[in-house]
Amino acid sequence: MDDRLKEAEKIIKDMEQDSSLSKVEELIKDNRITFTYKENKYRVRLLNSAEKDELDLLRRKKFGQLLKDKDILFEKDILNQYKERGLNVFEETDIEIKKLDSVLMDLELKLGESISRNEPEQTLKNYKDKVQEIINKKKILFTQRNLLLEFSFENAILNYVAQIITYLSLEIVRDGIWKRMFNSFEDFQKYEDCELINRAGEYSMLLQ
Amino acid sequence: MNKVYDKIIELSKSVKAQNLFCAAKELSCVRLFKNTHDFSNLQEVYLSYLYNFDSLNRDIIVDKISPHVLDDKIYWDSYFLWKKKYSKQDNKKENKQRELSIVIRKDITFPNKEKQ
Repeated sequence: MDDRLKEAEKIIKDMEQDSSLSKVEELIKDNRITFTYKENKYRVRLLNSAEKDELDLLRRKKFGQLLKDKDILFEKDILNQYKERGLNVFEETDIEIKKLDSVLMDLELKLGESISRNEPEQTLKNYKDKVQEIINKKKILFTQRNLLLEFSFENAILNYVAQIITYLSLEIVRDGIWKRMFNSFEDFQKYEDCELINRAGEYSMLLQ
Repeated sequence: MNKVYDKIIELSKSVKAQNLFCAAKELSCVRLFKNTHDFSNLQEVYLSYLYNFDSLNRDIIVDKISPHVLDDKIYWDSYFLWKKKYSKQDNKKENKQRELSIVIRKDITFPNKEKQ
């Protein structure tokens, strides 16, 4: 009875696996992603060259605007300000990340070589555990670093670019025809349904 | 986002995807995507993993490495990295040998065009 239950569980697990993989297949079958939200059909596309030009133009305009804004600091300036306040976290973090990168590379190459030599499972596991430990340490350091630089000029530009890409690539089916969801970037910025924008944003960033 | 990439890796590793990839390499009528150009970032990532796992599977088939390598991301990532470095060094050696083979020996005399 136990075996049959285990078998049934395995079948269900395999079916779930297949269905989640078929969902991923949908994401890569072409260079656009279609999704349904509140009974409407939407899609995001890879930008064409005219849209890339528009993106470039809007990005340059924003770049000029942000340069004039003295409240927005470059990463370098934020680092200096932290330093002035006696926080040398970044230098230490960067040195630590570089060290970890070098150790990680060394360990991965050793592990790769051990795999090629068909060395015992225990040897591989030892390397694997060490690699995992370093990956985890790096993740923590990166998260700390990114949190402290959240409001930098560089991040502001990146966020803005992500918004423009979403605005340019989001389409909706109206009367059986795919049409641009927004006529202007102002319309996009005023749009209130954040859930739709976030979902479209995530999908469109996967494509570009 | 990371979950999507994990699923992409899982898909590229699957027997179905690998069979399709091999068929697409042999037969022009078998296509992996609807579009033939302007590949999305996701498609490019998928393609690179298809290539990597294809090469890994070949090494497994000829008993170069254990099939357990496929069980863990750290294992296959490390193997890809090592193999890439190793094959680069190999290519350099091969190129050096090729360069040596075209060095002109001193005792070779070329025909003089003016005399002819």
